[in-house]
Amino acid sequence: MIATTKKLLDEILEAMAGFQKVGLVGCDGCAKVCMTGGADEVAAMAQELKKQGKDIVFEATPERTCNVVKAHPVLEPLKDKMQDTDAILVLGCGGAVQVARQLTEQYGLFKPVKSGLDSVGHMDMVVAGQVALEQCQECGECILNDTAAICPVTKCAKSLLNGPCGGSEEGKCEADPSRDCAWVLIYNRMKALGEVEKLKKFVAPKDYRKAAKPRTLYIKEGRLA
Amino acid sequence: MKLTELFQRKEFVITSEVGPVKGCCRNGQPEFVQEAKSLKDYVHAVNVTDNQSAKMRLGSLAASVLLKNQGLEPVFQLTCRDRNRIALQSDLLSACTLGIDNVLCLTGDHLRQGDHPTAKGVFDIDSVQLLSIARSLNQGNDLMGNDLTQATDLALGAVVNPNFQPLDLQLLKMEKKLASGAQFFQTQAVYDVRLFETFARKTEDFGVPIQYGVVIIKSPQMGRFINENITGITVPQWLIDEMAAASPEQYKDKAVEITTRLLRQIGPMVQGVHFMPLGWSDVIPRVMERLRSTCQCGG
Repeated sequence: MIATTKKLLDEILEAMAGFQKVGLVGCDGCAKVCMTGGADEVAAMAQELKKQGKDIVFEATPERTCNVVKAHPVLEPLKDKMQDTDAILVLGCGGAVQVARQLTEQYGLFKPVKSGLDSVGHMDMVVAGQVALEQCQECGECILNDTAAICPVTKCAKSLLNGPCGGSEEGKCEADPSRDCAWVLIYNRMKALGEVEKLKKFVAPKDYRKAAKPRTLYIKEGRLA
Repeated sequence: MKLTELFQRKEFVITSEVGPVKGCCRNGQPEFVQEAKSLKDYVHAVNVTDNQSAKMRLGSLAASVLLKNQGLEPVFQLTCRDRNRIALQSDLLSACTLGIDNVLCLTGDHLRQGDHPTAKGVFDIDSVQLLSIARSLNQGNDLMGNDLTQATDLALGAVVNPNFQPLDLQLLKMEKKLASGAQFFQTQAVYDVRLFETFARKTEDFGVPIQYGVVIIKSPQMGRFINENITGITVPQWLIDEMAAASPEQYKDKAVEITTRLLRQIGPMVQGVHFMPLGWSDVIPRVMERLRSTCQCGG
């Protein structure tokens, strides 16, 4: 999922300054899981903005606002209401904000679209409802087959490919001692799997063309450009 | 002079380290140059750290050239933290062009401990890859295989941390560095002689010169500070207690005594020593004089 955190209310109010009539779009996908932009958080934001003297024209929470397949059927019927707003506030990831903006343009509307959240990474829920971890940064050249299914590109603070730096102590990371050293985790698992020898292989510098932004995926062809 | 030539001649190679100043050096001679000059008769070369601890300073290449101009042999430290593969290669070409003979290839401390913690770390290349790239440049090709008009001619050093647990994982990386072109190693600071003995035993078949690294502990407070704040080094309680038993004006004498003792014990296991005096460079001549009078190593 794309993890999100809430922006401070002051920052949101600053972005919404001068806009009286507001439309609210949440996301019942990742933002719901992060408790930042599901239907409940959208309702709470509506209350807060009303308290601040704003008028809420509509509230909507598509199942996946980043996906036009899910967002369009929910937002298209709200075209007239969108027309009636001064601005739209999206409680979703950066992708959700931009898909919402794209749809407003598609509907022939030129409304300010603002973000109420900060996107903080592609994360995996590892403790239900409590902890999400960043474990993959979509480098386009997955090496998990060679690293016991633990990603050093993401989980090593220095993205080292050929083993640990010298800063790790008692299995913890130099950059953040509350975190495990990814390479100690990889080594221990490779050892348990009887595959330590494989770690001796030189890993060449990554081809960062595969991670160069912005990437486009042509789904039917499975082609990345 | 390349350190590799000294190792080949079976010299016990002695290096120290200075940290470039946080500021420009257009006028006057900065303190780190004076510090390095004071060691001229006692060390073969002086490492120049590269924005050490991720604190922004005068560049290690410019500082290395300043030392070279004073007749000192610099070991240019080059980290992967702040440069992508183009900048790293370009700096290696620049270093050789400016007369540098020795380069120490490192990953670099993480930005979080530095004075620009909001900066974006580069880490495009790791230290093993950097060694491999530097070796290619020595052979006349860049990373992409393109020909150079003139190859570099640099002795390539690397670092290893014998304190690392599990040690075999650190040694696995050391072997990769060796296979990628490392010609000598400098170790992280070690104060546990037994631990170093284990490391030395496990690496003796590698056939690569190793310099024992030692940070001069200046006070019991510094020892405790390192244990609490610097990862990868452990200052043992005996050393902290020994310093604490001395009065503050005796700390330097104590540092000389402890460092000499460590070198007497560890020196015979290695091919050289790398001092990290952190400003207390005047300790080094005293240590070396003591060693010369009593021990064949260091002579």
